[in-house]
Order: sequence, then C-alpha cells, then structure tokens
Amino acid sequence: MYLLSLLIFIPIGTALLVLLVPSRFGRSFRSVALGVNIVQVIILLLILSQYSYEGGFQLIEKIPWISIDLGAWGVLQAEYFVALDGLSLSMVALSVFILLIATISSWTIEKNRKGYFVLLLILNGAIFGSFCALDFLLFYVFFEFMLLPMYFLIGIWGGVKREYASIKFFLYTLLGSILILIVIVALYISVQTPEASDRIVHTFNVLHMQDLNNLIPDSLLALDSLKLIGSFSFRYWAFLLLFVGFIIKLPAVPFHTWLPDAHVEAPTPISVILAALLLKFGGYGLLRFAYPIFPDAAIHFSWFVGLIGLISIIYGALNALSSKDLKRLIAYSSVSHMGFVLLGIASATVEGITGAMYQMFSHGIISAMLFLIAGVLYDRTGDRMIENYSGLASKMRNYSAFVLIAFFASMGLPGFAGFMGEVMIFFGAFRSSAVNGLIPTWMAITATGGLLLGAAYYLWTIQRMFYGPFAAKNVTADLTDLNNREYSMLLPLALAVLVFGILPQLLLNYINPFASEFVNNLFQSGNPLTP
Amino acid sequence: MELKEQLTGISESAGHLLPELVLILSLIISLVLGLILKKNKQTILNAVSIVTYLISFLLIIQTWPHQPVSLFGGMMRLDDFSAFFKLLFFLGGFLTILISKQKEETASEYIILINAILLGACLLAMSMNFVMLLLSLELISLPSYMLAGFAFDRKSAEGSLKYFLFGTVATACMIYGISLIYGLTSTLDFSSNQFIESLIDSKAPLLFVASFLILAGLLFKIAAVPFHLWAPDVYESAPTPVVAFLSVVPKLAGLAIFIKMVLALNLFGQSALPWSMIVAIVAILSIVIGNLSALAQTNPKRMLAYSSIAQSGFLLIGLATMSMEGIHFMMFYAVIFLIMNFLVFSVLHQFENSINIQSVNNFTGLGRLSIFPAFVLLIGMISLTGLPPTAGFTAKLLIFSSLWTGYQDSQSVVLLVLFGVGLINTVIALFYYLKIPYLLFLKEPVSGSVAIKNSFPRNLFHLILVMLLIYLFLLPGGLMGWINQITFVL
Repeated sequence: MYLLSLLIFIPIGTALLVLLVPSRFGRSFRSVALGVNIVQVIILLLILSQYSYEGGFQLIEKIPWISIDLGAWGVLQAEYFVALDGLSLSMVALSVFILLIATISSWTIEKNRKGYFVLLLILNGAIFGSFCALDFLLFYVFFEFMLLPMYFLIGIWGGVKREYASIKFFLYTLLGSILILIVIVALYISVQTPEASDRIVHTFNVLHMQDLNNLIPDSLLALDSLKLIGSFSFRYWAFLLLFVGFIIKLPAVPFHTWLPDAHVEAPTPISVILAALLLKFGGYGLLRFAYPIFPDAAIHFSWFVGLIGLISIIYGALNALSSKDLKRLIAYSSVSHMGFVLLGIASATVEGITGAMYQMFSHGIISAMLFLIAGVLYDRTGDRMIENYSGLASKMRNYSAFVLIAFFASMGLPGFAGFMGEVMIFFGAFRSSAVNGLIPTWMAITATGGLLLGAAYYLWTIQRMFYGPFAAKNVTADLTDLNNREYSMLLPLALAVLVFGILPQLLLNYINPFASEFVNNLFQSGNPLTP
Repeated sequence: MELKEQLTGISESAGHLLPELVLILSLIISLVLGLILKKNKQTILNAVSIVTYLISFLLIIQTWPHQPVSLFGGMMRLDDFSAFFKLLFFLGGFLTILISKQKEETASEYIILINAILLGACLLAMSMNFVMLLLSLELISLPSYMLAGFAFDRKSAEGSLKYFLFGTVATACMIYGISLIYGLTSTLDFSSNQFIESLIDSKAPLLFVASFLILAGLLFKIAAVPFHLWAPDVYESAPTPVVAFLSVVPKLAGLAIFIKMVLALNLFGQSALPWSMIVAIVAILSIVIGNLSALAQTNPKRMLAYSSIAQSGFLLIGLATMSMEGIHFMMFYAVIFLIMNFLVFSVLHQFENSINIQSVNNFTGLGRLSIFPAFVLLIGMISLTGLPPTAGFTAKLLIFSSLWTGYQDSQSVVLLVLFGVGLINTVIALFYYLKIPYLLFLKEPVSGSVAIKNSFPRNLFHLILVMLLIYLFLLPGGLMGWINQITFVL
C-alpha cells in the first residue's frame, strides 16, 4: 500500500503544488495544510489497523536508490528503505497528532501565509521521513531537510530576537549533524552487505550495520581493530561522536543553550513542533543508531551517558526554577525531562528503555500542551513574564484548569501520562546496578531530586501566576477565556494526557516488544566484547 | 627522427585535435567578424561561439572513449582524463556566453579572449611536457589578465594589474623550477621513464625546491593557499560573468595539470617526498584560511572568492589520497562545482543589474520582493555548503569517503586531520554562505527597495541548473558510473 511513502510525500508534494499557487489566495493555504493533516490521520489509522503487536519491522518498503561504482573499493549502495517498529510507530503516531494541532495553532498566522505553510508542510514530510528511514543516508537527508524550514520558520515568524535564535539553532544542529555525518562515512565504508557477491557492497542499511558480522575485517571500525586515538578505539570514538551529535538535538547539558533561545523566539506552533517532535530525534537517534550499532561502546560508556542525563535533569530543573519567562521555564523543564530519557537509556534494562520511550511520547503531548498554554497568554497580552501576573485563575477559569492539568502531568503525578514514563525509568535505573551493573544506585537516587524540583517550579509558578488577587502589570488587553479554536487544541491534548496516564497498555503494547528485543540484542552482541 | 616521419606525426596528431582546431577557427572568425560587423555584433558573435562549443563538445563525445595517444612527439597526450576536463571547459565557456552581456564595441574582444582561454585550458589538460605546459598556461594567463580588467574602471584595472603582477611572478618561479628539474633529469617530458628514473635517485632538498616552485605556479591558477592572494581582488573588481568563468575554467585546468604533475613527482610512491601529505596540508590550509577569511567579508564577490579558495581545498582532497577513486570523486566534485558556481554567480549578476551589490547589506529584504532569484541563490549557497538535497552534498560525501578509505589504507594522521577539519568547516562555511539568504529572507525590506528586474530566460536558465543540482543529488549513479570508466595512467 506504500502507506509510509504516502505519509512522507503527500506533504512534500502538496508543498510543491502550493508553491505554484499565487499568494493572494492567502486564506486557503491553511485549509490545504489542515487537509494534509487529516489525510495523515487517516493513513495513521490504516497503519494501526495493519500493524501487529508482535514487534519487528513492518510495512517495509525497500527500493534501491543510489548505487555508485567505487572502482577497486566495491560498490556504494543506498536504499529508499522505510519501515515501522514499536519505536518509530510511537513517534509517527505522536507526530501525526502534534502536527495536526500545530496546523490548528497556526490558524492565526497573518504574515506571508503561503511561505509559512509551504515550510510547515516540508517540515512535516521531513519529520516522517526521518522517523521511518532505516537507511542511514536516507535518515540523514531527511534529518538535514528539517533544518532549513525550521531556520526560516523561527527566523521569519519568530519574536524579537528571532534572527539570533534561528542562526544559533541552525549552527548547533548542523554541528550535531556533521558529527553524525562523520560516523556515517566511516560506517558505510566499514560495513558490507551479508549477501554473497564477488565485489564488496558498502551499504547504508541500518539493519546491516547493526549486525556486527557485517563489519569488514581490517576496517577501522572492525571489532578487532587495534588502532587507537588517545586511549579509545575508533569504535568508541564513533559512538561518542554519534552520542554528542544526538544529544545536541535532545538537548542535554552542556549542549542545551540553543533550546531556550529557540523556544522563546519561535512562534507558538513552531515551539510546539520543536519541543514535541524535534527533540525526540535525540532519543530516537540513540535508540535506533548509536546503541544498536556500537553495543560494545554503549555498554562501556553507559555510566557517562547516565551522568549526562543526571546533570541535565538537575541543571535543567534548577534553571527552570529561576526562569522569569514562562516559555523559558517550559524550555528548561524540557531539558530536565529529556535528561530522564538519557537516564532510562543508560540503564539498559527493559523497564528503563520502555520508560525512556514512554517519556518521549508523553513529553511530546505534555510539552505541546505547555507551549500552547504559554501561547494563549502571549496572544492576549504579548507578555510572558511570570512576575507580571497574579490571580489569573479568577479571570480565566477554564484556561487555568488546562494549565493545572498540563503542569501536574509534567510534574509526573500518577494518573497523568508523565507519570508512567518517569516511574519506569526509575524502576530501570534502580534495578540497573543489580541486573547489569551499568549505572550506580546513587544516580537514580539523585535523579529523584529532579522530581522534587519539578514540583517546586510548577507549584511556585501556579502560586505566583494563578492564585491570589488578580493583577496584570503592563497589560491593557482584555483577558478573555479560551476561544473555540483553543479548546479544539487543548481538549484533545488534555484527553491524551489522561488516557495515556490511565491506560498505559495502549502504548506499552507497541513499545514493549521493541524494548525487550533492544536490550537482548545489546547484551548479546555487546557483552562478550567488553572486558 | 626523419623530417618525413615528423611531418606525418604532426599531420596525424592534428587529426586528434579537431575540437581545438574548430576553436581556433572560431577565434579567427570572431576576430574578422568583429572588424567588419557594424551592428548586432554581440548576438552574432555569441551565436558563433555557442555553435563552436557545441561542435567541439560533440566532437569529444563522439570519439569517446579515447585510446590514449601521444601527440606531437610526446608534447601532449589525449586520453579520457583530459577529454573529460575539455568537456567541462566547453561547458563552462557555453555557460559564460549565456550569462554575459557586453557593450557592442568590446564584444568581439571579449569572445576572443574567452576562446583563447578555453584553447589554453584544453591544451594544458593534455600537456605532457614542461614546455607545452608553460605555453598553454600562459595562453590561459594573458587573456585572463585582460578579462579581469573588463569592467573598464579604476578598480577593475587595479585588480587586473594585481593579477598580472602575481601571475608573472608565479610563472617566473615556475620557469625557475622547471630549469632545476631539467638539470636533475635532463628531460622535459615528465611522463618519461628517464624523468622517473633520474628523480628516484636524486637528493630530496633540491628536488623539493624545484617541485615546490613548479607547483607554486599551478597552485596560483587553482587559487589555493598560499598562492591565493590575488583571488579576492580580482573577483571583487572583474565583471561577474568573467568571475564565474575565471573561477571555474582556469581553476579546473590548473587542477587537471596539477594532478598529472603531482602524480609524476610522486614517482609511483617512490619519491623521497611525502606528496600525499603535502597536498593534504595545502588542502587543509585552503579550507581553513578560505573559510575563516570569508567570514569577515561584506562584499559578496569577495566572499565568494574566499569560498572558491576553500572549494579548491575540497577539490584537492581527492588528490591527497593518491588513489584512482579519489581522483574520480574529485572529477565528480568538479562537475558539481562548475554547476553551482555558475548558478551563484549568475544570480548575483541578475541582482547586480538592479542593485549595487558592493555590500551584502544591499540584499536586505529583497527575498520577499523577488522570490525566485532569492530562492535560486539559496539553493546555490546550500549546495556550496554541502547540504542535502543538493548535489553539493553528494560530492562532499563521496570525496570524504575517499579520504576515510585513504586514511584506512595509509594510516596517515594528516588525512584524518583533513577529514575532521574539512567536515567541521562545513559548519563555519554555513555561517557566511547563509549570510545573503539570511538578509534576503529574514530581514524586512528597507523602504524604497523594489523587486529586481526579472527576465524569463534567465530564470529558466537558473531553474535548469537548480534541477541539475537536485537531479545529481537524487541519482548520482549515472554520472559517477561514467566518470568511473575514465582510466588514467600517467
């Protein structure tokens, strides 16, 4: 049925068609974008109906793409190879949902509508392409393809310091992807296809890369390669490059500084996409590429990975606590929550990995909601400073209810989606020292501090902004409660937060098989290699 | 050799030089037409040269694949390698004529000079002898100096003079180097056994000085560090179509002969000098200095001059690996470089017709008003940076693959450094390549700015080049497969 290709190329094709339409049809562009989103929802339902719980890759589409004769070195082969497993399915489902919300949230965009929606559609296609691609080159192409639309979306439709924020975002992310590209080049030269052939066929196929038997003997990334740089082998360096490349995107401390700027300056829908979807590529990249391809290095460095996660949790939360701007607070809370993902991955237990994926999914929904909430206030007053408000609950009753739901969910209270992910990550992190000895118990204990800090900054914000007598400094605009369009975005999100908090099986059924297979493979191929 | 044998040799050799003979014929015709035509000079002369380039192009294609033949008693050799570069030169000439616009009174001189450079480039790519090399190099250089001054203003004259002074010094160095090499080997044919045998035994210091002097002249043509100083001044002051031409044709011609020269001096790996390392160091310097200097520029053409210095570094990467595959990837890169360079300069020229492009600030906000030219410029810049979905990415991917393999085989640390430096420089390069698109799209237009003049043929031309860049990104296999069949023995 080519469902995945349809998912990827309908938005891109539509974007190209829209380019040909004169821009005076201003209002129709948003309807076109919404139409694409609705088609994608239908495609997602079809995918879900065909997907079976058993795990493994499904809905595979594989077409030869590039084949270049390298002379004496063999053949370079890249494929158009897309498929879904538990990991990518959860991300694709999240993306369909969030992109629909983002389009609705873009309804009020006035400035250059045509350009905006063309870029949004291109971004849309590139996101699905990156989540579905199982060919490293194909992934990289889609991954880079997200950069330019994002750059322009922040840079043209953003806030006051938008130019600074967009170039910073671009440079950080490009640096990350160059690090990834270095590894891609080294990897494909070191890997051959398992099929017998009289010439060496170098492949970008991620599944082939994950099978250590396909490494070419004597290549620099071969398991027995003795060549070192410093005290690490090339395999260890390659893992570290991939790791840094992906945690820039995640983002984790110390590579997180682009995130607050980008979030604060981006328009609301773009903030939503950035937080809910683009950050997920960090965790996704580690789970899909870095860990399975270099299991030995992943096990070796798991202590380090856990530590970076822990630092992000605490440092992000402390920064959130001291933020004066509501959007900045939410941005730092993202850094903190993504730290949990790293901690879960580092634990390399089934619970930890499942928790990390659950956390990615739930953070996607919750952060979308949080940024929409910040956007609602900003739309009315043009001001996001926490100290300028108090007693909003008395003026905007329904709005405050949604704020409470979002904040409590983000805090990780039981019954909300955020709880499941974090609690499983803690199971994994505490169990790790007993099961595989990868991360020590003190990391898990210290990480609980992140929860406390999370409660602190959210409750404090609620107290400052929503309780007490009503006051809004420097604000003349009338503070009206939510309108219908805002309900249509916040209500589904709030429902999703509750549903995935109460019925985690809905998601666990899909991601659990992936997690157990992931952990199995990691130790099967990685353990014998580590001394 | 008997006189009769020599004469038959010459007449047989001439048969292999049909494309060049056509070019010479066209050059003479242009000269005569320039004298007798009274009006529509430019249109007619452009038509003549376009037809010439097409004929020459087809003549080369038609005799493909070439059996390597030695011409004029070992002065030149025609093989697929040189023929490939000749194709690129004619393509470059063709594109230059398409984007050029000259005053009526100088139209014929312009065409003649371009033809002369093309002729020199073709001969240079085939040279196998130091004398031939020198002659054809000068045949490129002298018209280049004149073309650089073709804006006929003070600044342009200054650029031209600077180019001339640097150029003559470079040539003088080269002649001195050649004389030293001649003293060491007593032959001028750098592909002969005698050349190789006598150099294997020779002492390294003198050989080093001599080779360095010779390569200096060639690096000057390529505009690679440390012989790049002329480029910014010339690029800034010369007319934009001329810059597009000069940044591609002489550079690629220099590159073709540079490859031959380095491979000859490498003596099949038996040279006392580490040639791979030397080329790698030149590449590293060119990339780093080119990119860092470009960051500080506010004049777009000056910025592109430094970018072109950095691009020379990327081209040289293919040679640094000293492998057939590396050179193949470099040839692929050369094709892409030609397309994207012409694209960028042609759009700049289009802007130049409406606004003063002395400073990037004059581009502020024009992206909203002239969306298509701005979009084309964006694609060109992205391709020069080496980002998907453009062929610039594929070219960089391939050339860095060759570098990694080269490192894997030779374990030479400098190649690993080049690998890291080259890729990290992509991020630096992005900063200045995006400068103009940034101003075009992200800034509000200043009051009073108007859309630039749109012309349909020019837009169509750009669209074709953009499509080519995207096509070669999606399906590079065809071009690469064709390049792979080019075997090349010294």
